[in-house]
Amino acid sequence: MQELTQLAATTNIFTSLGIDWHNLIIQIVAFLLLVFLLGKYVYPWLMKSVDERQAGIEAAAKATAEAQKSAEINKEAVAELLAEARKEASEIISTAKLESAEIVSTTEDKARKLAERIAQDAHDQLDKDVVNARKVLYNDTLELVGLATEKIINKKLDKKADGELIASAVSSSESRGN
Amino acid sequence: MMSQFAAFDLQVSIGAETLFTVFGFNVTNAFLTGLVGVIITVAILVYVALSVKRGKYNRFIGLVQWVFEGLLNQINDIIPDKKLAKKMTPLAITIFFVVMFNYWLSVLPGLDSIKVNGIPILRSSAADLNFTLALAIITFVTVQMYAVKYLGVFGNIRRYIRNPLKNPVGAFEGALEIIGEFSRGVALALRLFGNAFAGEILLIVILLLTSYIASIVLPFFMLFELFIGFIQAYVFFVLTLIFTSLAVTHEEPHDKQPA
Repeated sequence: MQELTQLAATTNIFTSLGIDWHNLIIQIVAFLLLVFLLGKYVYPWLMKSVDERQAGIEAAAKATAEAQKSAEINKEAVAELLAEARKEASEIISTAKLESAEIVSTTEDKARKLAERIAQDAHDQLDKDVVNARKVLYNDTLELVGLATEKIINKKLDKKADGELIASAVSSSESRGN
Repeated sequence: MMSQFAAFDLQVSIGAETLFTVFGFNVTNAFLTGLVGVIITVAILVYVALSVKRGKYNRFIGLVQWVFEGLLNQINDIIPDKKLAKKMTPLAITIFFVVMFNYWLSVLPGLDSIKVNGIPILRSSAADLNFTLALAIITFVTVQMYAVKYLGVFGNIRRYIRNPLKNPVGAFEGALEIIGEFSRGVALALRLFGNAFAGEILLIVILLLTSYIASIVLPFFMLFELFIGFIQAYVFFVLTLIFTSLAVTHEEPHDKQPA
């Protein structure tokens, strides 16, 4: 009797809380059916897409890491190339400077020698011209002296008369000297 | 103001109320709303799955996928055994989505105001003990099922029943474990029911208190309820996983361990 009272009291508690056993069982069965259907036909596609997305993300991360690695390697190679190029460029520049200095000094020597030679040639030519001028002047002077003498003595001078005249002039000057 | 309260006929019923009867089965307002909630859940998940299958994407699909992925990661974090995690995935994720959408139906306009024969049509199934208790029973049975599968029948029984003469502390521990198992199940059911039921009453009370400015104040509380709905669904989901994980990784009693 006491058990029956307790059972009745329990039933009342469940009823007052709105618990209906039929409803409860139907909800359990319906929910399990829902889980089964979703698990069989819906979730696999979503899980597949998540797996694919994660695989894509992992692949992208891997590719990024590889790209970074290769970029670093390339950076090092580029740096090496640049250093080598700079070294070569500096060598080329220093060689060019040396060569240009040599060329300049050679050209200067050549120019100086050429100038000296030109100056020397000019000097030689001048000397020659002076000598020639002196010769011409001497001859002209001789001719003028001859002409003047012809005017003074009123006599045409030739080589013989000229010699005689010179000899008499020399003898008169010797006698004056004595 | 008091006259306004008096004018408003506030009737709070802990249990869901019967709207009509089909072949002797009482169709309650919570059952009907729960059916709508399940249809919404299935429609959203099927739409997203079909879109993913066809390679169509938009922001909504991305959001659902993002939540799904987060839940999957959570399952894998809580349950270290990958095989068990995969087996638990449909149940745990269905619990999350069904509880969340059903909880969110409690913020639908018309709550406690659209009535048929004086009975409100809308009542969140999360505010019905039949639904929350059903989920708790399913979780409890699932946990026991996997515990038996992983520990064996006797291994699972040894979690609860130990020889009090050989190991009195262990026997007491086992008794506490039995109480703990039942209290966990009851707490699962009552926590969700209490939050959803209190949420619905909160919205009705705020509606009463704010009167004509309710349309300004209520949306804030509705947003709060949406947030609580998400939290409750997440808590149910996580607790289901934790209970399963605890059951399958149960340590042997200390007296069985080698010295």
